[in-house]
Amino acid sequence: MEAIPGPSTARKRRRDEENVPESEDYDEALSLEQSLTFSDTLVALRIMRAQFPQIEKVSVQPFILRSQLYSSVKDRTQVDRELESLRRDKVLRIFKLNTGQDDHAIMFMDDYLNQIERVIKRMAAKKQDELAVFEWFKTHVITSKLEPSIEHQELCSLLSFGGNVKDEHISLLINAGLLTRQLIDPNMYWFAIPNIGSLLKGLSQGRKELLSFLNRRRYREMMLAPLEKKRLRLSPLDMRFHLRDLIGSGHVKTVHTPTGLVVRVSKD
Amino acid sequence: MWKDLGDREAGKLRPYSFSNRITSDRIASLQLSNYKEIVSPHRGAVNSLQVDLTEGRYLLSGASDASAAVYDIQRATEYEGGSLVAKHKSIFVVDKQHEHGHKYAISSAIWYPIDTGLFITGSYDHYINVWDTNTTQVVVNFKMPGKIYRTAMSSLATAHMLIAAGTEDVQVRLCDIASGAFAHTLSGHRDGVMTVEWSTSSEWVLVTGGCDGAIRFWDIRRAGCFLVLDQSQSQLGRRPPLLERSAANKAPMSKSLPASQSVNVRPRAPQKKFAYGNGSKQSATGRTSSQAKGLVRQRLHPGMLSSQDRATAHYGAVTGLKVTDDGMYLLSAGSDSRLRLWDIVSGCNTLVNFETVRLQASKAMQLAITNDSALVFVPCMTAVKAFDVWSGKTAMTFRGHYEYVNCCWLSLQDQELYTGGNDRQILVWSPSRLNFDEVDHGSRKEPIHAQDQDNWSD
Repeated sequence: MEAIPGPSTARKRRRDEENVPESEDYDEALSLEQSLTFSDTLVALRIMRAQFPQIEKVSVQPFILRSQLYSSVKDRTQVDRELESLRRDKVLRIFKLNTGQDDHAIMFMDDYLNQIERVIKRMAAKKQDELAVFEWFKTHVITSKLEPSIEHQELCSLLSFGGNVKDEHISLLINAGLLTRQLIDPNMYWFAIPNIGSLLKGLSQGRKELLSFLNRRRYREMMLAPLEKKRLRLSPLDMRFHLRDLIGSGHVKTVHTPTGLVVRVSKD
Repeated sequence: MWKDLGDREAGKLRPYSFSNRITSDRIASLQLSNYKEIVSPHRGAVNSLQVDLTEGRYLLSGASDASAAVYDIQRATEYEGGSLVAKHKSIFVVDKQHEHGHKYAISSAIWYPIDTGLFITGSYDHYINVWDTNTTQVVVNFKMPGKIYRTAMSSLATAHMLIAAGTEDVQVRLCDIASGAFAHTLSGHRDGVMTVEWSTSSEWVLVTGGCDGAIRFWDIRRAGCFLVLDQSQSQLGRRPPLLERSAANKAPMSKSLPASQSVNVRPRAPQKKFAYGNGSKQSATGRTSSQAKGLVRQRLHPGMLSSQDRATAHYGAVTGLKVTDDGMYLLSAGSDSRLRLWDIVSGCNTLVNFETVRLQASKAMQLAITNDSALVFVPCMTAVKAFDVWSGKTAMTFRGHYEYVNCCWLSLQDQELYTGGNDRQILVWSPSRLNFDEVDHGSRKEPIHAQDQDNWSD
């Protein structure tokens, strides 16, 4: 696949709503209405990665939520299976988020390694010693453990391939934001994306804000085109991100009408 | 249909495929019944429904007001609506006023699998009562240490008559009706056990799902569970027909697998014994070195090593389990609003995504599946949805209840679906039927199609 074009080089070619042409050069779509569904998981992942909003204050590499993928590709089983095979091929990593019961974030492996590099630089700037543990983490733990969680014993044994592991090393990893303890089980850790805390808060608040906005309307629906242009007050992530996430998780559904797509709150 | 009948007569169509075609057509046309109704005497949410397994004639329901009732679903008690709608009232009800009745909600009511002479109710008042149907008296009762969430008896059992009970206590208890005592205690779960189901392929295998999110398979003839399902162990779809013999035992050693290993295992019957220790010796990964490196573990009985396996099948509690009729697949519903399909022999998640948005998280629910494992009926909040088992797409949605639906049962004999919910109603969903004699014979007491012409005697 070619390098993904940035927002400034988007061409104005109109695109069919349902399919992405499988040709090599594709538009970076400007509106959600034109790019709601894709044919393939990897294509969807790359396009959504390119559409990740630029946030000034926080420096986080692009990540995609699983629910966004569900809204973009029709067959959810195919999405799950393709994600699984991509994960096994170490193309991407899946992280479990703590916002809600079943939230997962997907990040490409290169982006994740870049993120770890940034963390290392930040820790080095704070004059922390013992930075070797990050190298051990990158070389031994990330490459061999592909699941989103890891047990304490296994973590220690994998890190010890690099050197002598002490408890301070693990606390350093937790402070850097690469691991978080599980609430149910004190012995298990979740892998986490560092520096993502404010974005997660923005994610849950943005979801609530968008849902309450739609619920306050008389018929609990709104046309997609004007809705997309609105800005959310509480979330640094853009409207398109939140819409994809809510459509995929089923809280909101899109209905085809003669004047375009309408976004409606679904009641179950 | 007449052409198919002719083909079957001539031998062009096999009898089994003919009957399967008819049943799947009828199931595909299920809708809220316009000729059959069940009058529910319950004053609380209906928690459990079961049609008896021997005749398919009697429906047993258990409700939150400590009442259990039995209905005859084949013969109506009265007709109304100009003899078009058959109403089925309960044959009897046992409730709090009964001298040995339950005091709190009945969470589970099941028939004795051999005949309808006995039925078993489990309740939040910590008691399991075994009732004699004809005299409506309690014959045996068992006291449990906690609220009972679900009871189950194996329909295949010929050598035992054990009731498996899942309670808010971490141990699963097996109660023996023959002796009136507890036969087994199965430990391994770390929180209450919400669902228990017996395997449909072996009378000795029990599947339990707990509030800790783990699904465990137990062979009751030995200690400990032999399989813990892990949601990160996955395979892409059905297992390929030719299985490679792999060195590592997959299922209990979920932590020790290198990531790129394929997920094929030797086919083995669930009862076959394999020692946990053998598995770790055979797997050629860094795990063995870590085990040797000085983990201070108590010396446990090999069967009890599975209690240290913390793999979870769902991110929340497991609220519903259903084993398919061929015994090869297991469907599990969790409070994380996910429905998962597991391959029992390999112990892997088949990654079929069922489009469930929300599932009830606080109560256990009953799932139903057709006998060719094509459709699964799941109560999703106020509706019941039928999903295609292998693609995960919604095939049908049944909206009729006013509040959350707790249980559903598919009667395979008549292809009817019975659902019970928090609105105290039991609804019947049946294949659509045309009412021929609506116009002409409105004054007849019993409609033609309900009259049993064979029911005569001299």
